[in-house]
Amino acid sequence: MAILEIKHVSKFFGGLAANSDVSFEMTEGMIMGLIGPNGAGKTTLFNCITGYYPPSKGEVIFDGRKMNGLQPDAVCKLGMARTWQKVRPLAKMTVVDNVMVGALCRTNSLKVAREMAIEQVKVVRLEHRANFLAGGLPIGERKKLEVARVLATQPKLLLLDEVMGGLNQAESEEIIQLILDIKKLGVTQMVIEHDMKAIMRISDRIVVLNSGEKLAEGEPEEVVKNPEVVAAYLGSE
Amino acid sequence: MKPNNPFFSQRGASTLQLSLGVVGIVALLALPQFVTSPYLLHMMILFFLSTLTGQSWNIIGGYTGQYSVGHAAYFGTGAYTTMILLTTRGIAPWYGMWVGIAASIVLALIIGSICFRLRGPYFVLASIAVAEIVRVTALNLTSITKGAEGILVTDIPAFKIGETIITDFSTKVPYYYIALVLALTIIFVTWLVQHSKLGYFFQAIREDQDAAHSLGINLTIWKNSALVISAAFTSLAGSFYAIFVKFIDPSTVLPLDLSVQIVLISIIGGIGTIWGPVIGAMLLVPLSEALRSNVIAQGLINSGLVSEESGVGIFLKEHLAQAHVLIYGILVVVVILFMPEGILGYIRKMTAKKKGGEA
Repeated sequence: MAILEIKHVSKFFGGLAANSDVSFEMTEGMIMGLIGPNGAGKTTLFNCITGYYPPSKGEVIFDGRKMNGLQPDAVCKLGMARTWQKVRPLAKMTVVDNVMVGALCRTNSLKVAREMAIEQVKVVRLEHRANFLAGGLPIGERKKLEVARVLATQPKLLLLDEVMGGLNQAESEEIIQLILDIKKLGVTQMVIEHDMKAIMRISDRIVVLNSGEKLAEGEPEEVVKNPEVVAAYLGSE
Repeated sequence: MKPNNPFFSQRGASTLQLSLGVVGIVALLALPQFVTSPYLLHMMILFFLSTLTGQSWNIIGGYTGQYSVGHAAYFGTGAYTTMILLTTRGIAPWYGMWVGIAASIVLALIIGSICFRLRGPYFVLASIAVAEIVRVTALNLTSITKGAEGILVTDIPAFKIGETIITDFSTKVPYYYIALVLALTIIFVTWLVQHSKLGYFFQAIREDQDAAHSLGINLTIWKNSALVISAAFTSLAGSFYAIFVKFIDPSTVLPLDLSVQIVLISIIGGIGTIWGPVIGAMLLVPLSEALRSNVIAQGLINSGLVSEESGVGIFLKEHLAQAHVLIYGILVVVVILFMPEGILGYIRKMTAKKKGGEA
């Protein structure tokens, strides 16, 4: 069964179509790669899915439920969580406290939330930073913190917006392993990423956006061979 | 919230800190038995009152990061409600203050529904504007508020339980105890907030609203909750002020100055901390009192640093008292420039550096 259905979603800013008529489906447990050149509308699509923008047209159906018009906090409670391209650590709170904020979405008890948070901090391997202020972490660890925080909200569907952006090879590799670990936990994921090697390795399917429209969809191997995709990335002759 | 508070560890207060706190409270409770100077008691009452207002603001401004510069609206609402009920209906202040709280909560929800759509500096401006609307309304609604003339009471009804008179408010001592209890209550409430789910939500909203929103925090509900708690206690401070001073008018309980002073207590002491507003009040109350009463100019002359006959001496004697707002302003600039996290934040940074601590 499809956990997420995007049906003819369009988003206009004035006359500009940031997304136009985008449709695709995701099945439970899969990793969907979302790629496209800069300005293709990937982050806008994330914002439409997670309630930051209402789509101008079309529907987002999550777990059989129409999401249009729901606020981000309600979306999160229903089990869909996202990270941010530009990380948003709660700078003056510790790593554990950051993750606890996510966990408090599911429990009212601070004690339970702390246990849940510590568990997720371990998943992303930030135990050694548990009591550091989030604002002082280097970028690689901030990205991990961001993942731990959304995991603590116990999502069924996780949307990761360029979690490898700005990371070095070793750090990216850790994040790739992390994404694959999360997949093993049964969490469905949609991943925006520019690193083609990484996206090819982790994705079960890939959707390519270009100028707000869906250009192609398919298995990683077929997508990279698609002449239109090649043209969009490298320019046509 | 370990790094936010050096006084309490994660599990709460240590035995040493707890016993220090108990000793402090006992000392404050016993103070009026040893001190008879009404002036000192008056200063202590102002200190407690400032702690109460500063700490109330701290909940919405310091913890939740919504810099309301319109808290005079709640202070004035508490003061006016209590005074109007007392003078027109003969309702005693300890009942009137609850009506004041209710009125302030309603006002807070109205202000919240307008201002919380805005963020950052726009929120600040909106909060000032709304408070000014309240002030101008009070000034012109002369049939209820008596406008600029103000409301004066001469007698505060004695506080009775059954037929026993507990106090008739003839000295400053009963005010001292009431103010002390109010100050301790707001400190305890802040402690409760910080050690509950609310504290996490408020601080998450302060650090990043969008991130907080995406983590399942309903911004409207929690921002309004913070404002309601804050407004209720600010209103209480207003009610207390009214019966303590026995006279109110729009320029004493509703002006923008007051809103700014409330903010400064927290900012100078250290926002988003339990002890920040206490430290802020401890510094600002004596300072503004000293500036106003010319103690500083007299002190400089008495110490021999400045001759009374010299031009400087005469100038200081004449003008320093009037310059208290200026000096206040300079102090704020200095604190913001050199201690952006307030005095408490500065102390913490210094001690953390010494320890080489992690947070």
